[in-house]
Amino acid sequence: MKFQLTDEQRALQDAVRSYLRDKFGPQQIREVYDNPDTDGVPASLWKALGEQGWLAVLVPEAHDGMGLGLLDAAVIARTLGAGTVPSPWLGTILVGEAVRLAGSDEQKKAVLPRLAAGETKGAAALLPTGSLTGVPATTTNGTLTGNLGLVEYAGVADTLVVAAQDGLYLVDPADATITPHASLDRTVRLATVVLDGAPGERLENSSPGVLEEVLDRAAILAANDLVGVARKALSDTVEYDKTRVQFGKPVGSFQAIKHHLADLHLGITMAEHAATYAAHAFDVDAADKHLAASIAKTKAGDVASEATGAMIQYHGGIGYTWEHDSHFYLKRAKRLEYQYGDASQHRERIARLMLDSA
Amino acid sequence: MDLRFSKEDEDFRSEFQAWLAINLPQEMRAPEFWRGKSDDEQFQIRRDWEAGKAEAGYCGIQWPTEYGGRGGTPTMKAIYDEELAKANAPRSVNPLGLAFLGPTVMAIGTDEQKRDIIKPLLHTETIWCQGFSEPGAGSDLAALQMKADQRGDDYILNGQKIWTTNAMHGDKIFTLARTSPSEGSRHAGISMLLVDMHQPGVEARPLKQITGESEFGEVFFTDALCPTAEVLGGEGNGWQTAMLLLSFERGSSAIGQYTEFRHQWDLVANLAQQLERDGQKAAKDPVLRQKLAASLVDLECLKYHSWHILTQTSQGKDLGAEASMTKMMWSETFRKVSDTYEAVLGTAFQVPDPQPGLSLEELTTMALWSRSCTIWGGSQQVQRSIVAERVLGLPR
Repeated sequence: MKFQLTDEQRALQDAVRSYLRDKFGPQQIREVYDNPDTDGVPASLWKALGEQGWLAVLVPEAHDGMGLGLLDAAVIARTLGAGTVPSPWLGTILVGEAVRLAGSDEQKKAVLPRLAAGETKGAAALLPTGSLTGVPATTTNGTLTGNLGLVEYAGVADTLVVAAQDGLYLVDPADATITPHASLDRTVRLATVVLDGAPGERLENSSPGVLEEVLDRAAILAANDLVGVARKALSDTVEYDKTRVQFGKPVGSFQAIKHHLADLHLGITMAEHAATYAAHAFDVDAADKHLAASIAKTKAGDVASEATGAMIQYHGGIGYTWEHDSHFYLKRAKRLEYQYGDASQHRERIARLMLDSA
Repeated sequence: MDLRFSKEDEDFRSEFQAWLAINLPQEMRAPEFWRGKSDDEQFQIRRDWEAGKAEAGYCGIQWPTEYGGRGGTPTMKAIYDEELAKANAPRSVNPLGLAFLGPTVMAIGTDEQKRDIIKPLLHTETIWCQGFSEPGAGSDLAALQMKADQRGDDYILNGQKIWTTNAMHGDKIFTLARTSPSEGSRHAGISMLLVDMHQPGVEARPLKQITGESEFGEVFFTDALCPTAEVLGGEGNGWQTAMLLLSFERGSSAIGQYTEFRHQWDLVANLAQQLERDGQKAAKDPVLRQKLAASLVDLECLKYHSWHILTQTSQGKDLGAEASMTKMMWSETFRKVSDTYEAVLGTAFQVPDPQPGLSLEELTTMALWSRSCTIWGGSQQVQRSIVAERVLGLPR
């Protein structure tokens, strides 16, 4: 019984952390934040993601990837979350996962090596806006139509993966109408995507089961990003409240604050366990993997929302200023909390899995 | 990451399962078995069953063999707890002795204490109570007032203990008393005494709890005697001894609690499929579905956490103050599952038998019992302070 990361996974975590500490810290994030008209993909960052293999983690070795598991990807997602790092990392990973799970050998050969190297960027449109069920596009005679809503990094993507009623499709962004849109969380770039009879290449082994699997993997990676956000929000708040003095004492000595921080620490610890287990459950094809995915997303969404709110509250006035980093965390949490199913939608899914099958 | 157990551990599980299959009769696993039996009868049945289990070698799983234990690993202990919970086995009659006193005696007891205490404890020949809390000393244990004045070879004890588990069944009590005036520190001058409860100077009275049961009680000491040799950890070292004693709870993985509460959740989910709410089954009500799912989320997190604890203890790590998180998590999760049970029942929560053939006495008792678990053994508020100060490092 070993419920812990392997030495290799810890080394991976350290590598991503060190890179962010040395090369892509708060100053670089702020540049992306304060220049919303840029593409939101700092060239040096994207180059590093490709070179270090952080885009190749789930791509099989036969297609020039590292052939690792979802837990390895989760380790990266969590560290990127803690750093509020921009970039189409998740979208690129998800296009890769869709192709790996549903593509033919030719399709894998054509798409995966370039994604793994960071030569192409991906964006994913797998659900209708605001839903955890259904698909955003419909197909007729091999073409796709539908308003895909807001898609992360659609403006810079080389490949879109789109869910339709009969499977997953690869769509060339050049065949879509893509309109950039302002985002509250500026560690991302959004665009609305409309398809009107766009040609698409169906991933040949698509099935409802594969779509569910890709969605679960997306939810798990989002959950890991969220626990990274939540943990960093809490630890920064704890450090600040150790030194911020009011009424002649550090504010972190007051029970009204410290008890809430203790509760948050407990909640975040549980969300970390859940996000770790869910990724592992997919790596070993555990019987409860779908349940585990929904548990992870629910718990991570709830604690990240609470922890990032507490970060602002327990920093007092300074936490409400643009100048402070608190809002990076709050806004990132608010984005990911509702992505790939929010806590309520995943609780409803848990109820379906546990109560309706009987 | 590897969530499988070793072959030795799985062998132990099979062996214990096989023993339980033969030695825990099916009727004893059903809640009806206990209905209509008096408190004394129930206690005697549990005591006899536990003695038989010990006789077969299923006791002191992690204790050294020289003390009559099995010399097993933390994983074996977790498997043992899990299997007992899965089988709905009777609760231990000596929970405080096994969790706290035994390990403390093995660590710092005299040879005589080791000889006299350990084996009778494991075999339920002696039922041990813990005498810490007093009317004026609950969460603030150092406020305790009970006096123990030395006269010859005895201490003369005067004072009162309260909320004492198994007070009406106890043979002996490990208790804290002031053996000398506290000079400067409230923690000074305290000793841990091992007192015989079967003597004229000790009177136990039951306290009726919100469940209607009297699992705990009060213990009054009026010129009660305790030989001076019956100090554990040395005179005046009672506070340090108590802290050491309480630290033995840290290794607990909570897998037994998870198993028990998950069983409770399964029963609640089943009830939701039987009871009606607004013209449909309660399990179809969108708000109750959210509640049922939310409590299952925390339950499963408790399971993952127990794997984490087991991983740490198997590697010989001391959990320290992190153990407070385990207590917070299992007791809060228990409350949440119980809250869900109440919500699923709605108005039916008021009666033990809302439908013919549906008896909820035990589930309702369990739901009420969950209220106590965030109080005893360090209240939720005390645990939060421990986590904030000793895990997060926030100032006092």
